Amino acid sequence: MDITSLKAWEMKEKLLNKEISSKDIVEAHIKRIEEIEPNINAFITLNKEEALKAADAVDKKLRNNENVGVLAGVPIGIKDNIVTKGMRTTCASKMLENFIPPYDATVIEKIKKSDGIIIGKTNMDEFAMGGSTETSYFGTTKNPVDPSRVPGGSSGGSAAAVCSNEVPLALGTDTGGSVRQPASYCGVVGLKPTYGMISRYGVVSMANTLDQVGVFGRDVKDAVLMLNAIAGHDRRDSTSSRRSNSGVFIGDDDNESINLLEGLKVALPKEYAEMGVSNKKIQVLFDEAVKVFERQGAKIDFVSIPHLKYALETYYIIMTSEVSSNLARFDGIRYGHRAEDYKTLDELYTNSRTEGFGEEVKRRIMIGTYSLSAGYAEEHYKKALKVRTLIKQDYDNAFIDHDIILSLTSTMLPFEFNSIINDPVEMYKSDLYTVPINIAGLCSMSIPMGKVDGLPVGLQITGDRFMEKNIIKAALGYERAVL
Amino acid sequence: MITKDDVLYIADIAMLKFPEEEIDMFTEKFAQVIGFVDTIKEVNTEDVEPTFMVSDEAGELKDYEENETLLREEVLQNTVEQQYGYFKIIKVVE
Amino acid sequence: MGYKTIVGLEIHVELATKHKVFCNCANEYGAEANTLVCPVCLGLPGALPVLDKEALEFGIKAGIAFNSKISNLVRMDRKNYFYPDLVKGYQISQADLPLCDGGYVEIELEEETKKINLERIHIEEDTGKQLHTDESSTLLDFNRCGVPLIEIVTKPDMSSAEEARLFLDKLRATLKYIGVSNVKMEEGSLRCDVNINVVNMESGKKSNISEIKNLNSFKGVVKAIEFEEKRHITLLEEGNNTERETRRWDESKGETILMRRKFGAADYRFAFDGDIPPVSLTEEEIDRIRESLPELPHDKKDRFIKEYELSSYDAGVLTQTKELASLFEDTVKYINDSKLVSNWIMGDVLRRLKDDELEIEDLKISSKDLADLLKLVKDGRINNNTGKKVLKEMFDTGKAPEVIVKEQGLIQISDEGELLSLIEKILDENEQSIIDYKNGKDRALGFLVGQIMKASKGKANPQLANKMLVEMINKR
Repeated sequence: MDITSLKAWEMKEKLLNKEISSKDIVEAHIKRIEEIEPNINAFITLNKEEALKAADAVDKKLRNNENVGVLAGVPIGIKDNIVTKGMRTTCASKMLENFIPPYDATVIEKIKKSDGIIIGKTNMDEFAMGGSTETSYFGTTKNPVDPSRVPGGSSGGSAAAVCSNEVPLALGTDTGGSVRQPASYCGVVGLKPTYGMISRYGVVSMANTLDQVGVFGRDVKDAVLMLNAIAGHDRRDSTSSRRSNSGVFIGDDDNESINLLEGLKVALPKEYAEMGVSNKKIQVLFDEAVKVFERQGAKIDFVSIPHLKYALETYYIIMTSEVSSNLARFDGIRYGHRAEDYKTLDELYTNSRTEGFGEEVKRRIMIGTYSLSAGYAEEHYKKALKVRTLIKQDYDNAFIDHDIILSLTSTMLPFEFNSIINDPVEMYKSDLYTVPINIAGLCSMSIPMGKVDGLPVGLQITGDRFMEKNIIKAALGYERAVL
Repeated sequence: MITKDDVLYIADIAMLKFPEEEIDMFTEKFAQVIGFVDTIKEVNTEDVEPTFMVSDEAGELKDYEENETLLREEVLQNTVEQQYGYFKIIKVVE
Repeated sequence: MGYKTIVGLEIHVELATKHKVFCNCANEYGAEANTLVCPVCLGLPGALPVLDKEALEFGIKAGIAFNSKISNLVRMDRKNYFYPDLVKGYQISQADLPLCDGGYVEIELEEETKKINLERIHIEEDTGKQLHTDESSTLLDFNRCGVPLIEIVTKPDMSSAEEARLFLDKLRATLKYIGVSNVKMEEGSLRCDVNINVVNMESGKKSNISEIKNLNSFKGVVKAIEFEEKRHITLLEEGNNTERETRRWDESKGETILMRRKFGAADYRFAFDGDIPPVSLTEEEIDRIRESLPELPHDKKDRFIKEYELSSYDAGVLTQTKELASLFEDTVKYINDSKLVSNWIMGDVLRRLKDDELEIEDLKISSKDLADLLKLVKDGRINNNTGKKVLKEMFDTGKAPEVIVKEQGLIQISDEGELLSLIEKILDENEQSIIDYKNGKDRALGFLVGQIMKASKGKANPQLANKMLVEMINKR
């Protein structure tokens, strides 16, 4: 038996049945990582010794017939913008190359309490800015499906690690698609919950009104297992919601004999249909997926999201404005890179930041600073906040009569290295399917719906705020129908 | 239109620096992106309230006792220079 | 000279809450450097702020005490700028929606009561402290980071250093009254920036506003305003003008110095802080806080005027601090003579506090002891001057007045027999004065009384001695 090819829930079952030990699970994954990491580079930092210690602790609990948590023995990869006490957290930036946080993020505390095993910190675009994991200071991550191609981003390391059986579960963050798009590119399940569902305490902010922690798994059930373990209100994060305590997202849905798609009210935004997809094979795959829903008894309907066409501009202004403020704390004084060469305080700041940040990060800080600066804030930042209202209203309207919205996760296939990154505007356009969801704070997930030219393509299922149960139901239903 | 001076001003308040030879190219790219986001101006937002955050839940207030105060070693563990329990930097001129 | 001075103040007040404003580190002064910080107040990546309930309530209390309109929505914004004492590259503050809008503070001038209007009061977080040790480096302590502050901004309603001082006295007293701050300038829990310019009353020409920072005592505020007044007028007289600039007060040099750090050119890029969802405040909640406030100084003053028949001025002075007002009221309870008590407190007690540079809290004298002293004076057992001496002794030693009087044998001589022999002796020794007095030189009588007091070491009852002296001279 190859332990690493099991789903997390299968590993847990075998562990509880004492077929395998937690140590077996961790050792198998470490071996797998050692074999393929040189080719994939999904991790920035590995935590082998601590992981083995944690596995021993779980095994001891089991031997003593103590209760174990929901993630007992499951190895988990953590995106490297989520702080881990005593374990380097870099945000894939030279700025934080040597940063050792003195505290754990709330999600890390929850994983530890659930007896999950943190195996390492995964690669990403620098400060989560990018869609290919190419802006990492620690080198690119290869797409395990085709190592000449990107795994997507910004949570590319997490997606690749799950895809290549280095871990069954991983955490990412999603500000404009950074969980769903790499899930699509690597052919795994990626779920971005509603804004406020998971605590952001200890998650390094990129754009704090858009950021949300997301989960990766190789099937829907695994993603939900991970989500259940980390969701919930946190008094240390004022933006985490009381409504997120609603808890268990899988119950009766676990019964495979039930047709979960029957009667589901599905919306297709007509703006996407009008825009079309340049790669026709992708369009065909999506049309087939919609037919699966239809055949299973879902009701399909077109809706209009009129302000969708301004979503990118809105996203870009809000995101960069927040970035410019959130990244101001990196000044080389209390932590982070400090330049060696400076003669004045201003030079200490400027040189440290200029050396510590990569090009994409600096570009976004510049745009955001401009959007917030005197004379421009009204026409940029404040305007974007108003258009945000309109986009949110469009979705509110769509969800009055619908349970979910179906779309592609991305209109593109995973691309080859260095092929797109030199064209920032085209790169942002590829986010058009994912960013509106963050603007409106909705929940959304990407699940594999097949391959085009041997490359994975994701189906995006979006639900209203705090209606995770709808997207999970739809995803489970689809998964069962096509398997 | 974004000028080189705009870029230099923004870089100044963002505490960033660009090599002299890159400024022109950067200004061009910068202008391209600003031109792209400027299309937002065409949206009619009369009588529309801004959405600062998507949640409509009222903010909560902190009212409990536990704290997460760090040990001084932890506070200072990531800085480049320290002295007598303080962070140390170049002389600040007021 | 024909110039009018225009002064506005910006006052930062540290709130004496149990915890910091966005994290639960203790809000304490004087701890070892960098021992009261956590991921939140150190601005570590990932840490998030949560607004403290008590800090918000204290801010609201201040607003109510200064007659402001309390906002029904509390929204926090980020003020973006770089400085080493600022850990996040932005300060969490409030921009266009301050917690408290408007308001005023009344000050007592000799002729009138003047209203100093407030622009606003808002909540924000304090920054860390810099220690400039030697020529080459600065040390940073972040314990103060995240201590809750309110910033009180006045309208430019003050026209002299004295008015600014009276305003600050009143402001400090009120904040202390309602228990929201320790208001100790020497510990930095109250800090004041001054905006000042002058206007030529004939030509209407104004100088440009100077902002003066780094004022760490009320005396410094007064001196800085006086210094700037002169500087502004001199420049205008010379046909020049001041620059619109930020200066700092140098206590040792007694002058203001241009600051090199730029404030005016800053582009703060205020933006809503998405980490802190707005908090709504209902009128009921605001009323509940209003009801929890103690009697405010102006209410107490009105009551003192009515209840104790004091002048407006006296009542104003006596209600300046809670402690002084209590001393007055408690003393009156023991000796039912509000006029006598107010005269003594307003006179010798306050004078002595000022001479000894003490705060009213440092006073060693209890209201009971003060009342006992006043009874001794009122009953004629000691005279007024002796009373003052006893009070000084009470200040220095904290001893009860009876003890002092007994130890030093200060009880007034009111025994006629004892006084008779004393006066006889003085008259025998000063026959020329008797002749002078009888020739109409009244001064001679004063001289003789002085001799009697001297011989009795001040203990002779002056009224009685005077009366007996005149009778005895007339008999000779």
